[in-house]
Amino acid sequence: MVNAIRKALLAIGLPAVLFAAWWLASAGSTSFYFPPLSAIIAEFGETWTAERWRDDVLPSVARLGAGYALSCIAGIALGVLIGRTRWLFRLTEPVLEFARAVPPPVLVPVIMLFAGIGDGMKVAVIVSGSVWPILLNTVAGVRSVEPVQLDTAAAYRLGRTRTLLEVVLPSASPRIVTGMRQALAIGVILMVISEMFAAQSGLGFAIVQFQRSYAIPAMWSGILLLGCLGAALAALFNVFDRAVLHWYHHQRAEEA
Amino acid sequence: MLEVAGIGRDYRVDGGTHTAVDSLSFQVAEGELVCIVGPSGCGKTTLLRMCAGLLAPTRGRALVDGREVDGPPEGTAVVFQEYGRSLFPWMRVGANVELPLKRLGLTRGERRNRVAEALRLVDLEGKERVWPWQLSGGMQQRVAIARAVAFRPRLLLMDEPFAAVDAQTRADLEDLIRDLWSRLGITVVFITHDIDESVYLGQRVLVLSSPPTTLRAEIHVDLGPDRDQLETRSGPAFAKLRAAVWREIQAAKRGGE
Repeated sequence: MVNAIRKALLAIGLPAVLFAAWWLASAGSTSFYFPPLSAIIAEFGETWTAERWRDDVLPSVARLGAGYALSCIAGIALGVLIGRTRWLFRLTEPVLEFARAVPPPVLVPVIMLFAGIGDGMKVAVIVSGSVWPILLNTVAGVRSVEPVQLDTAAAYRLGRTRTLLEVVLPSASPRIVTGMRQALAIGVILMVISEMFAAQSGLGFAIVQFQRSYAIPAMWSGILLLGCLGAALAALFNVFDRAVLHWYHHQRAEEA
Repeated sequence: MLEVAGIGRDYRVDGGTHTAVDSLSFQVAEGELVCIVGPSGCGKTTLLRMCAGLLAPTRGRALVDGREVDGPPEGTAVVFQEYGRSLFPWMRVGANVELPLKRLGLTRGERRNRVAEALRLVDLEGKERVWPWQLSGGMQQRVAIARAVAFRPRLLLMDEPFAAVDAQTRADLEDLIRDLWSRLGITVVFITHDIDESVYLGQRVLVLSSPPTTLRAEIHVDLGPDRDQLETRSGPAFAKLRAAVWREIQAAKRGGE
């Protein structure tokens, strides 16, 4: 109980201190570009009305959701295929390293050329950046399955499908989840960037709009909202991680 | 039951070839318990993997029930030395034992019964919900044995299964294998580098030579069906057999006659 309280205090401690520091440091600010935090908070309620949630926040989250889901499906499926097929791995390895090294935002103008400026473009941009960590981690995870475990599966003649679902994927799951965590962070960044380039809605679009119309407190409130969205997604991901990798964390804690 | 006919395996090592197993032939009858010993690095594991259909031989062949082994044969279970790595850490003990049963067309209830029975046989009754990594090494190997037992194989191949457990646990596990073998009537091929263990367990001991490996000697163990860690091991018959295997292995190491 005492431990739980201490943990909770530690978790919210630094954010609380930073928030307070921001509040105090900006309290008397007369700068146009750095308004007092109190003003930003006041603006928050004004700006993020139900209408804005519907028109900007939800479309952003939907694009992120679609892009992220596609990245996970494509990344895991291709990663298993490449990781389990030796010639395919040798063939694709250098290309994958290259593709991973290209900074995803530079692809936005390219993707706009063929995917237009609709939702499809934004989803494509998110996938173009998010798929790599999932793909590469899945390949690595699938390739490092314990040989004795594969021998065991083969000796009992589990068959391809069962070996994949019951042995290969669970064994690779810690790596896959690591890739998915990186992909989520990249996905949020690309969601915002794609909406800044060409959009009629979305969080990135709204923030650029505020900036261009010199609605500085509103702009800051949008940035704050983005931060909260990211934190909420990370918390959600932790719940997922603990559910899927329960055995993994438990085992590591036991062995430590 | 198991017939090995002129089986051999070469490995390619930068430029040349290394003959791990030259040519081996022997037979194991239905219901027999045969131990295979040899000096370290003599290709015991290579031999077992070829019998299990996990490794293709370079020449010769293995036959199970008269059918050539070209993949893991039906009705065969393998217990590996690395118990910690052959169990699946994302499954509890019960699920680990149950996994091979899932393709046998059994109902859920039948599978559960088999799992419970197998765990009881290895003295791990009611441990279905425990995670394998919460168990000691000897207990983990018993789970791997339970997995093999629940599968009800006709042929059980064991690759130095007790090499990594402590002496006391090892003695218990040896008795467990003798017990399971006589109760279940299965054919067991047991690979070990431990001379005492081979004599204590087997009805017959096959001694392999150093690489390129051939069959060096075959020793019949006339110790009778009832064996006891203390009595059997301290008797003169045991000492004689042990010495016979010992001499063969020493000669094998020198590579002479």
